[in-house]
Amino acid sequence: MRESWRRIRAVAENTFLEAVRQKVFAVLLVFALVLLGGANYFAEFSFQEQFKFLKDLGYATISLTGLLVGLLGAAQLIPAEIERRTILTALCRPLRRWEFVVGKYLGLVALLAVMLAIMGAVFWAVLRWKEAQLIGLEGGEAGVVQAIQAESRDPRLWQAFALMGAKLFVVCGLAVFFSTLATSTTFVVAMTLLVYLIGHLQSVAREQWLESGEKAAWFIQLFLAAVALLVPDFNLYSLIDEIVAGNVVPWRATLEVLAYSVAYVAVLLAAAACLFEERDL
Amino acid sequence: MSRVVALALAGGLILGWGIGKLPWEIRMTKEQRLATVGFPGPTAVAVREKLGQGLVLAALGGFRGLAANALMLQAHGAWEEKQWVRVRSALELATLLQPRVALFWDLASWHLAWNAAVAAERYEGLESETRRRIEARKWVEAGRELLERGTRAVPEKALLFQRLGDLYWQRLSDYQAAAVCYRAALTKGDVPPYLERFVGYALDKAGDKKAALAYFQELRRTMGENPDPARQPEVVEREMQRLTKELRTSPNGKRP
Repeated sequence: MRESWRRIRAVAENTFLEAVRQKVFAVLLVFALVLLGGANYFAEFSFQEQFKFLKDLGYATISLTGLLVGLLGAAQLIPAEIERRTILTALCRPLRRWEFVVGKYLGLVALLAVMLAIMGAVFWAVLRWKEAQLIGLEGGEAGVVQAIQAESRDPRLWQAFALMGAKLFVVCGLAVFFSTLATSTTFVVAMTLLVYLIGHLQSVAREQWLESGEKAAWFIQLFLAAVALLVPDFNLYSLIDEIVAGNVVPWRATLEVLAYSVAYVAVLLAAAACLFEERDL
Repeated sequence: MSRVVALALAGGLILGWGIGKLPWEIRMTKEQRLATVGFPGPTAVAVREKLGQGLVLAALGGFRGLAANALMLQAHGAWEEKQWVRVRSALELATLLQPRVALFWDLASWHLAWNAAVAAERYEGLESETRRRIEARKWVEAGRELLERGTRAVPEKALLFQRLGDLYWQRLSDYQAAAVCYRAALTKGDVPPYLERFVGYALDKAGDKKAALAYFQELRRTMGENPDPARQPEVVEREMQRLTKELRTSPNGKRP
């Protein structure tokens, strides 16, 4: 087990370092940081609205950048290794194929985690910057200062951040799964993006399937069932919108969605390992 | 392990998990809806009825907030140009995209019931004052209708009930309805302390001085012996004295 972990870690470290050296991720990060900084310039509204705009834009920027990193990173993982034939050098060592898959995933997740941490830190700094700006503008009345600080230092933002990270880790899991099936990077990107988009409709399809009874044609039912069974429900993560709206979201609900994400990733990696085990390289 | 077995195993895993996750997803969705919207989940009929809206909401996925903000900015731009129909359509869409954001309902109703209505009242293109008033009333009604929907979408917050009360008071002069809204706001946890006096003010303004006095007396009683200064007991006592005095001169308690 320890040996296995050592090998997984080696693959993960290698994947992480390889990804860090790629300019595309640095460009994405700079793009995200500029957007995050620019999010501070909504000044014509009340402070609650300014914070709402800032948080929405901040989360959307981090989410979009994370999605692109996940997609591009995963696309580079296995198909590119096969194309370059570097995978043969890796697998001729005492390294099991499932260890390779898990290592690749963990490397990608590490890259994503580092980028999320950097973007999160900048986002936090922008929130504090906005706080200082607004306190200067609105005056130092205790009630107003307290209300502004409640917006900028809202501890629920951590909940939203954890949910966003979990959603992106599931997207990475999907991308790794498709990369064990695919021969081209375009296929991995297209399929993952497609599932990501359909995932936001999954709950609608599921409810329609379960409640449509015999009224819907069989092929429609089959399609709805396939979406409900095979696609993750990304609407579960819309708790983020609730948090940004300033509504209370219980930690229990957040933790349950996090557990769902962990379980989903585990299943995806297990299936990916099965597929990769017998794949011709 | 052959290729077929590997494929079957992977497929079985995904499908098995798909079947297993279904009840979990259904329960989580219901619980999330119960916690955030106040009902456990739509029926089949409701799903069909709301499918169009649901698809829009779902399709935008993680970027729904961004789209709603863009619409709010669009509404702001249209407001600066006094294009009220554009303001209304952008606001309606923004509240549709993020119905749980109380701020959107608040801003939207303010634009319609105050800004658009006042602009209609002052519109020089219509010579007849009656016509202008009818136009203005339409905008006020649009704002009221938005706020009514807002209170149903975010029932746990005091803000929209307070704003609805303000609208009834300031734009429709319906003080009894305003008192009802302020009372509803008081049942929420995040009500500002000054609002508890507004029920009494609204009842007084509606001409029901007896009810206003009874309300202020009850309010003072609930404050206890050592009231929180933020609740301003002296203001309540002053109102009680004023109303008592006025009721002495007009004992039926109704405004002449």
